[in-house]
Amino acid sequence: MVDVSNHTLVPDHNLLEEGELEEVLEEYNIQKTDLPKIKRTDPALTKEAEVGDVVKIVRDSRTTDEAVVYRLVVE
Amino acid sequence: MSQQAPQEIGQLSFGLMDPEEYREMSATKIITADTYDDDGFPIDMGLMDPRLGVIDPGLECKTCGKHSGSCNGHFGHIELAAPVIHVGFAKLIRRLLRGTCRECAKLCLTEDEKREFIDNLDRTRALGQDLNDVTKSAIRQARKKDRCPHCSEPQYDIQHEKPTTYYEVQQVLSSEYSDMIAEAMEPGEDSERVTPTELAEETGIDAGRIQEILSGEFRPREEDRKAIESALDVDLTEEDMNKLMPSDIRDWFEAIPDEDIEVLGINSDRSRPEWMILTVLPVPPVTARPSITLDNGQRSEDDLTHKLVDIIRINQRFMENREAGAPQLIIEDLWELLQYHVTTFMDNEISGTPPARHRSGRPLKTLSQRLKGKEGRFRGSLSGKRVNFSARTVISPDPTLSLNEVGVPDRVAKEMTQTMNVNERNLDEARRYVSNGPEAHPGANYVRRADGRRLKVTEKNCEELAEKVEPGWEVSRHLIDGDIVIFNRQPSLHRMSIMAHEVVVMPYKTFRLNTVVCPPYNADFDGDEMNMHALQNEEARAEARVLMRVQEQMLSPRFGENILGAIQDHVTATYLLTNENPHFNETQALDLLRATSIDELPDADGTEDGAEYWTGRTVFSELLPEDLNLEFMSSAGDNVLIENGELVEGTIDEDAVGAFGGEVVDTIAKQYSRTRGRIFINEVSSVAVRTIMHFGFSISIDDESIPPAAQAQVDEAIEEANERVEELIDTYEAGELESLPGRTIDETLEMKIMQTLGQARDSAGDIAEDSFDDDNPAVVMAESGARGSMLNLTQMAGCVGQQAVRGERINRGYENRTLSHFEENDLSADAHGFVEHSYREGLNPKEFFFHAMGGREGLVDTAVRTSKSGYLQRRLINALSELETQYDGTVRDTSDTVVQFEFGEDGTSPVEVSSSEDEAAVDVEEIADRVMESEFADENEKDEFLGETREPTNLSEHADDWWLAQSDD
Ligand SMILES: [Mg+2]
Ligand SMILES: [Zn+2]
Ligand SMILES: [Zn+2]
Repeated sequence: MVDVSNHTLVPDHNLLEEGELEEVLEEYNIQKTDLPKIKRTDPALTKEAEVGDVVKIVRDSRTTDEAVVYRLVVE
Repeated sequence: MSQQAPQEIGQLSFGLMDPEEYREMSATKIITADTYDDDGFPIDMGLMDPRLGVIDPGLECKTCGKHSGSCNGHFGHIELAAPVIHVGFAKLIRRLLRGTCRECAKLCLTEDEKREFIDNLDRTRALGQDLNDVTKSAIRQARKKDRCPHCSEPQYDIQHEKPTTYYEVQQVLSSEYSDMIAEAMEPGEDSERVTPTELAEETGIDAGRIQEILSGEFRPREEDRKAIESALDVDLTEEDMNKLMPSDIRDWFEAIPDEDIEVLGINSDRSRPEWMILTVLPVPPVTARPSITLDNGQRSEDDLTHKLVDIIRINQRFMENREAGAPQLIIEDLWELLQYHVTTFMDNEISGTPPARHRSGRPLKTLSQRLKGKEGRFRGSLSGKRVNFSARTVISPDPTLSLNEVGVPDRVAKEMTQTMNVNERNLDEARRYVSNGPEAHPGANYVRRADGRRLKVTEKNCEELAEKVEPGWEVSRHLIDGDIVIFNRQPSLHRMSIMAHEVVVMPYKTFRLNTVVCPPYNADFDGDEMNMHALQNEEARAEARVLMRVQEQMLSPRFGENILGAIQDHVTATYLLTNENPHFNETQALDLLRATSIDELPDADGTEDGAEYWTGRTVFSELLPEDLNLEFMSSAGDNVLIENGELVEGTIDEDAVGAFGGEVVDTIAKQYSRTRGRIFINEVSSVAVRTIMHFGFSISIDDESIPPAAQAQVDEAIEEANERVEELIDTYEAGELESLPGRTIDETLEMKIMQTLGQARDSAGDIAEDSFDDDNPAVVMAESGARGSMLNLTQMAGCVGQQAVRGERINRGYENRTLSHFEENDLSADAHGFVEHSYREGLNPKEFFFHAMGGREGLVDTAVRTSKSGYLQRRLINALSELETQYDGTVRDTSDTVVQFEFGEDGTSPVEVSSSEDEAAVDVEEIADRVMESEFADENEKDEFLGETREPTNLSEHADDWWLAQSDD
């Protein structure tokens, strides 16, 4: 099977540590469930990702070099 | 009172309504179809019963005691003589009939299957997907069963005859059964004759019975029929359509158990399927169907009332006939009629049913027609409605206006008003407006006294009224020059479709605009109309002026560059002014600049024949900001260099000052201000208008004609191409054509022919192009980017070329040929739509026909595209309308879910950042340089600042370690 996470067009998906998650939630003043979602079965995710985890996605941006997005793993 | 207090909606639930609930909420039962008695009073228990609410002012509602305006009206009800189907549920009724047992009414699914579907429903609901997919598949599975899994009753197919008739299709013994059996007993090609005795033996039926069956005296029962059928290998059945009356269906549905309808996604607490068959009809309150008194005193009733009258009449006739014991046939006819009236009461646009009509022949507007479509309640009255203080008229151009302005006809200005709050300081002004009256231009139409009374200003009372005006009053004065209004052209596809303009009151009947605002509105002057809205409070006016004024909308958020700029002749003119850098004498130069703010010419560029002259580039440079520096490529292909506000070299054309990203306009708007940008565009267009008047610019047929020698060359090129095509066809027919990889021989031939003809068109174009001078008007327009392209020119002068439908040569028409003028299977160029003439020469009839085919495809495509993209956009806007950028920079929806962590994932404004791919989105270095430059007077001061290391002052001795460490390196 092809591992899509190695594809150039798929940005890095990294699991967030507990402490980091707190920081993110505090920064935006939100609950975990207010984050955008991603399916656990999404091929871009690592095997370790479990429902309830939060991934940090770092994308390339034409304007800001890097655009950071967080997603909650669901289902 | 409680009705005044704001209330919060806690919950909405949708479901079917219990007939008992209809009766409970009903203010009265309606039994008579008459509305008013001879004295004009509403008849009790009639359709206009006063208990249904009041519409006449002054009367009191008999139900709630309130007056018209505060009483919302009350429902009544009609007891239907027989149940009827509710058309809105015809599909659901069909589904239930097909999925449930005709005997025990249970859903024809096993317990396991039911559980599976309920689980599936829960999952689908949790995922927010379409429940219909699950319920549909449940019905499909239930329908497959031949017998009920609960009572093993055989199930029959249900046929639905739209809109509201249902049949049960049964296989029953044919009426010609005896003949059919007799025929089957005759000897066939491969069978012996069967005697009655043999038949009796084989089927086990008594021989005497067989005789009776054969004579048609006895109808065999089902088992016997099957035995005979298998013995003789015949089918003795025929289809029998058994009509299901609404009452049968109602009985059937009443027996469906609650837990079974849950499987179909219906909440049994709120909705029972039998409620889809109406036994009571709610009568809308009179407030929902007011009657109108015409000028001649006659009352005209609402369409709904007409429909209700029909229903009550038939309902009564039905009851009378039934009581009188009328024959079943008549009862059924009346029943169908009642069904028709109730159906059209709810929806009068059902396919296959003739719409109920008014006496005049106009179809009635019933319930569903009130809600549906563009003019319906939702789209016509709730999401959008007609507003006051708005005007609409044809637009026409006026290049003397600023782009921020709009010319408003005086008759519009006198109709549309602005509210003046009178105080000590504007008292004289206010009195002047009032004393002018409503007819003279800067006048007033209404005043509101301090006590709130509103008075109309008339020609008669205006002088008198003006005296009385005092602080605290409000004066509704006419629109005057400088007022801010909102201007709009539909379709409003982007935010620049609605912009604020300053009013300039003008004579005549059209709105006037500067032509540079045509691109954002996508307007032209071939009859386009636009809307104007006068703003009615100070906040709105301030907001419009700051955010919506045309100059503030100069940059488009669609591509991050200017959308305002020079268009068409403006571009041609700046090209003429700068391309060959012509010389102007003093008078001419001053004339070019006379509509601008420049009233003094710079130093002359030189002298010629003893007179000073100025070049076109010098004239243009006068419009540029003093310190502008810029370098880019022009559309004409040369390098444009601007140094310190001087155009040193290059042509100013579309790429420099054009709408949609003209480099100079874009840079001025971004680096200086929108105001500077507005001034620049206004002045460029003024200079351009004077310039094109100076040079003169026109185009004629002669400008597209080429010398005979060139024409001969073109003809030769096309002749050559035709020959090459013939050669290709010969090779193909000889079977010697080699196919290209991945193509069939036929495709290869087509491609090669297309390629050859394409080259022929191009070379014809090149030949034509060579014979045009640089000052040819079509060339000037194409070069400068003002209008048209070189392709258009070559089509006019050289050769129109191949016409295509669906990207292929034209292949449709007759069998094996496009037109009857050609032989069958003719593959040549002219038989498949190659137009070898130019537009100037004219097309021959065959070419003209092919050209029309290609042209038609283009028209159809654009028509389809606009409607498709319009609907797509509507859906997109509705889906995204509640997303909002919060103060913390995130984009969230109404439930506070984050959609983007930073607006656009980079936090940049789409207005300031160009989205064209060829340059860096944000040039940080360039911005830094510019800021530094503006901070320092000269290079020395800047270097001094950058090189300077300031000694830290007032440091505590505790910081000595740090201080030493700093100075170490
Ligand atoms: Mg038009
Ligand atoms: Zn009332
Ligand atoms: Zn059953």
